[in-house]
Amino acid sequence: MSSFSILQALNSAPLYLICGGIIAFVAVICVIFLIRAYRAGIAMGMDKGKMKTVITSSATFSILPSVGILLGVIALSGSLGIPWPWLRLSVIGALHYETQVAQAAAEQVGLSSLSAAEMTPQAFTTIALLMSICIMWGMVLSVFLNKGYLKKISGSKKGEAKETATFKPNDLDNKKGGFADKAMTAMFIGLVGAYVASYIGGFVSGGAQNGGGIFRFRGDWVPLVVVAASALSMAFFIWLSEKKKLAWVDNFSIAGSMIVGMAAAVVVSL
Amino acid sequence: MKNANMNDANIKNESTYFERYNDMTHVLGRIFTTIVLVMLVGAPFLIGKILGAMPDLKATAKGFLSVGIIWTVSSIVEFLVYTPMLGAGGSYLAFITGNLINMKIPCAVNARDTVGAKSGTPENEIISTLSIATSSLVTVLVLALGVLLLQPLQPVLQSQVLQPAFANVVAALFGAMAYKYFRGNMDIAAIPLTFLCLLFIFVPSLTSSTSFMIIPGGGLAILISWLKFKKRNA
Repeated sequence: MSSFSILQALNSAPLYLICGGIIAFVAVICVIFLIRAYRAGIAMGMDKGKMKTVITSSATFSILPSVGILLGVIALSGSLGIPWPWLRLSVIGALHYETQVAQAAAEQVGLSSLSAAEMTPQAFTTIALLMSICIMWGMVLSVFLNKGYLKKISGSKKGEAKETATFKPNDLDNKKGGFADKAMTAMFIGLVGAYVASYIGGFVSGGAQNGGGIFRFRGDWVPLVVVAASALSMAFFIWLSEKKKLAWVDNFSIAGSMIVGMAAAVVVSL
Repeated sequence: MKNANMNDANIKNESTYFERYNDMTHVLGRIFTTIVLVMLVGAPFLIGKILGAMPDLKATAKGFLSVGIIWTVSSIVEFLVYTPMLGAGGSYLAFITGNLINMKIPCAVNARDTVGAKSGTPENEIISTLSIATSSLVTVLVLALGVLLLQPLQPVLQSQVLQPAFANVVAALFGAMAYKYFRGNMDIAAIPLTFLCLLFIFVPSLTSSTSFMIIPGGGLAILISWLKFKKRNA
C-alpha cells in the first residue's frame, strides 16, 4: 500500500465515525458530570455566581492549550492520519506520550520511522493498540482504587500535603519531598537520552546502504538538525516564559517546538 | 437554641446530600471509565477489521515491555498525586480525558484559587468537577473544529514536500524534551547520554531497537539521581 493510499484508508469515513463516536461519548460524560456538579452545588448552597465564574474561567483557560493540542494532531496526522490522533489527543492522551509510544510501537513492527511511507494497516492497528494500552492505567486505577484511596486520604487528613507534590521536570534540586518525583524525572532523562543518542549514533556510524560504518559519518543527519532546531525553539519558549513573563507561551512550547523542528526537516530536505 | 438545632440539622442534611452525591459520582465514574476503557482498547481491533489487518499482539507485548512500563509507573504516580487534588468527579474525568499536566491540573488549580476553595472539601469537589468538565468540553470543541478545518488541507499535508517533516516528528519531540529535561539536570543526564551515544556508535544496529535502550539509560539516570539524593540527605 503506498503512503497516499494508507493515509486515505486512515482518513476514511469509518475511522472518523469510530473515533468521533468515542469522542462524542466522552463529551456526553463531561456534560453529565458538569450538570450533576452544578446541581449539587446549588443544592448545597454554593454561590451560583462562583460556579459560573469557575466555568467561564476554565473555558477561557483551556482555549490556548487546546490550540496547542490541535497542533499535535496536525503533527501526527502525516503518519497516523487525522482521526486516530484526533481521538487520542481529545481523550486520555498527551502529545509527548502519544508520539513516544507510537515510535516504540513502530520499531516493534519493523518500521524504521513513524512515517506514512512505511506504514501498513497492521503496523497502524498495532501502534494504535499499544497507544491505548500504555496509558490506560490511570483509568484502571480509578475504577478500582479511586473511592478507597480518597476515603483513606480524607480520613488521614493528608490531602493538603499531597496537593503540593506536583511533577516538574526541573525539580531535582528541590530538597523537599521523596525520591519518587526525582526517579520519574531521571527515567524521562534516560528516555529522551536514548532517542537523542540514537540520532547521534545513527549519523556517526549509520547509513550502511551509503557505505557507512563505525565513525564514517554517512548516516542520516536530518534528525540531528531537527533535534537542534526544536531544542533551540524550546529554549526560546522557555526564555519568553521565564524572562519575559509570557506564561501563556507554555501552552505552545512542545507543539510549537515540534513544528519548528519539522519545518527544519522540510527546509534541509529541499 | 432552636436556631442552633436547625443549623445542625441543615449541616447534617447537606452532609448526607453530599455523601449521596459522592457515592453516585463513584458509581457513574466507574461505569463510564470502564466503558471508555473498553472502547479505547477495542477501537484498534474494530479498525483492524475495517482495514483487514488485526494488531500484532506479539509486537504490542514487546512494545509494552520497552516503553509501556515507564508510562505505567508514570500513571501510578499521577493517580496517587492528582486524585486527592481533584476529588472524585474531577479525577474520573481527568483520567478519561487526559492532558493532565499540561492542562487539567493547572485549570483545576486556577479554578480553585479563583473561588478560594480548600482541598478535600465538598466545595472543592464541585469546583474541580465543573472545571475539568468544562476544560474537556472546550478541548473536544476546539479539536473538532480544527479537524473540520483540516479537511481542505489534506492534499497539502500529504504532499511530498512535507513528508520529511512528518518522518521526523519523533526527533522534533525529543529535541524539545531534551532541552526541557536536560536543562538544569546535566549532572544526571551527561553519563547516560555519553554511555548511550557510545553504544549506538559502536553497535549501530541498536538504532532499530531504541526503545529498549530506554531501560539501561533510564536505570543509569535513576542510579545517579539516587546517589545524588542520598548524598544530599546524608
